[in-house]
Amino acid sequence: MSRETKLIRKPTEIPSEDYYVSGHRTCAGCGPALGYRLVLKAAGAKTVVLGPTGCMYVANGHQFLSSPYAVPWYHTQLGAGGPAGIGTAAALRSLMFKGKRKKEDVNVIVYGGDGGFADIGLSGLSMGLTYDYSRLLYLLYDNESYANTGVQASSTTPFGSSTTFTPSGKVKPIGNERLKKDMALIAAAHPSIGYVATACVSYPVDLVNKVRKALNSGRPSLVQLLTPCPKGWAFPPEETVEIGRTAVNTGMWVLWEYENGHFHLTTKPNPRKKIREYVTKQGRFAHLWENEAALEYLQLSVDSQWKYWDEMDETGKIILPWTPSFNQ
Amino acid sequence: MSKTSQVSVQKSVQKRRVWTGARAVAEAVKLADVDVIAAYPIRPYTGIMNSLATMIAGGDFYAEYLVCDSEHSQFEVVKHASAVGARTFVGSSGTGLIYGTEAVITTALGQLPVVGVVGCRSLDDPGNFGMEWNDAFLFRDVGWLMNWSKDPQEALEMTLVAYRIAEDERVLLPHFVALDGATITHVASPVIPPKKELVDRFLPPYKQPHPLDPSYDTVSKAMHIAPSLIGPEQRKSLDAAIKRAKNVVIPEAWKAWSDITGKDVDPYFESMKMEDADYALVSMGAYSRNVDYIVEKLRETGVKVGSLRLKYFRPFPTEELKNILKDVKGVGVIDFSFSLGSPGNGSVLSNEVKTALYDAENRPILMDFIFAGGREMTLTELENSTKQLIESVKNGRVDKPVRWVTVRGDDE
Repeated sequence: MSRETKLIRKPTEIPSEDYYVSGHRTCAGCGPALGYRLVLKAAGAKTVVLGPTGCMYVANGHQFLSSPYAVPWYHTQLGAGGPAGIGTAAALRSLMFKGKRKKEDVNVIVYGGDGGFADIGLSGLSMGLTYDYSRLLYLLYDNESYANTGVQASSTTPFGSSTTFTPSGKVKPIGNERLKKDMALIAAAHPSIGYVATACVSYPVDLVNKVRKALNSGRPSLVQLLTPCPKGWAFPPEETVEIGRTAVNTGMWVLWEYENGHFHLTTKPNPRKKIREYVTKQGRFAHLWENEAALEYLQLSVDSQWKYWDEMDETGKIILPWTPSFNQ
Repeated sequence: MSKTSQVSVQKSVQKRRVWTGARAVAEAVKLADVDVIAAYPIRPYTGIMNSLATMIAGGDFYAEYLVCDSEHSQFEVVKHASAVGARTFVGSSGTGLIYGTEAVITTALGQLPVVGVVGCRSLDDPGNFGMEWNDAFLFRDVGWLMNWSKDPQEALEMTLVAYRIAEDERVLLPHFVALDGATITHVASPVIPPKKELVDRFLPPYKQPHPLDPSYDTVSKAMHIAPSLIGPEQRKSLDAAIKRAKNVVIPEAWKAWSDITGKDVDPYFESMKMEDADYALVSMGAYSRNVDYIVEKLRETGVKVGSLRLKYFRPFPTEELKNILKDVKGVGVIDFSFSLGSPGNGSVLSNEVKTALYDAENRPILMDFIFAGGREMTLTELENSTKQLIESVKNGRVDKPVRWVTVRGDDE
């Protein structure tokens, strides 16, 4: 079974074969759908995909008995991404070991959202990350809310974002007051994990390479993929890729990888653009556009976290980026 | 039984062991060469997983053994392993089982033949380890097959037969095997395990018809599809499958088991002195042996009472039950469950028995003796209950059809 990771350098090297094809009804400009397509291109035909409940379950079927998946796919419950991956990988290993199935490399990818992995399924995901199944990738597509049910806050929703559970009002002007949970760092806290990375759909070459490194790492892995969401973030659908780039260029979203105990940044925006540029492009932050205190805090939180990211990049070691709270 | 078949039986059995129910089920799992096992601790079923872990660590057989973070994960692991084509084993008890509910239910909807054990335990005034059936009964409506064992020997056999029934292409439904907590899970009694080659003849390999495996085909399973398109048909396919199990596959499987072991096993009932009975005590599980004892005792005094033990709760053997009870005058249900606010404020099993007898030609008097709450049943209580049934039949009416037998103080 091969361990050689085929990395690419430019977009034209991305395979032309698609395993996520027509037959879905995602929104125009859907970031998670774009991610799906790229991730499966990177993984190839010998792949089983599991889809916890979320946009990428609900919007990928419905009404016409259609399916966009050209590889085996099975739904799993919202909180079941972790054990679904483990059950599938365990079955394949057991059947191969006992000679009930041909021995070969099969990828198992669980394509789950931030609600599924960061909230309700965190415990099961953590269980999955402690095992030793190779070619098992937990792909967390992070659109920073429960977009499918009408955009409710999750624990990866950024500070200041307005959602239907965290609207801005007279008494609570900020919207979501919680800071975004760093799932990739939590994944990295599992000592035997194969590979951890963050990625963004606006950087397809980087994403393809990270998926391949993860699948080839010999252990369960996690890639947290920022997938801008026109519906949930309130921006025009043609701007998905641009919003993702702005997230990275302003430092709101940090691209890094953690491999064999070594951390490094894979993109270093220098100089970082101001947060205001990111925030003013999205309706979910519209209530903050005139709120200088909140915008200042958002900039401060990003700047203070970046001190840690830079230090991590220099030392190659993970340090937890502590962030002062808004009220402090 | 002919002489040659007696010889073949002698050859097919191993020597007698003394095993708890937990150990006996673990032996069944080993004999069935299960591929994937998912464990999470909760008493009293845990002993099964302890035994399996020891067997696997010691190299007795190979299976992927997953130590999970919750019952929800446990049931998800086996659901997905079963979808790939692995034979699986899982189990739980009490509130643990309830924690896994979502996964338990979708396993049936996915028509995945997972076999699980319920070590029946009360729900869950904290620390109540008593035996109660409500944990398993919560899944009575969702397409899981369920049988109730009476001792470790039967727990072993029911587990093996469960795999054959569940994995039959005419069924493809998950299967619970219920072991009364403590009384079966933890009490050791003689067990004669079948030999491996006999089990191999009885139990064909599991063949998932549409495995989730790229070497098979592109399967998209459990798509999000408008309920108006397939919702009723999804339920109906489970309904058809459980009826096929009831009418064809379960009787077939137990006939095959009888043939291969030389035993004569009725799939749905074990009855004692029912042939001429005026009064029937209907029970399930371990305490049916107490019922048998009381029946024998009262028979000595000339009372025509019989014991009828129900082996399957799902599918419920309605016609068969009606037929066996057609000539009895009074039925007492010995029940370890409750169903608060239900019709007649009865318990789960008694309500089921009552429903089954609704259109019987001669409806017997029915009394519901509730032993819920985890307090141990005494033989005196059981005997008094039986006498109350007899008295009601003699009076031609029941003053109090539902009795909480083990309750101290008023039974309002």
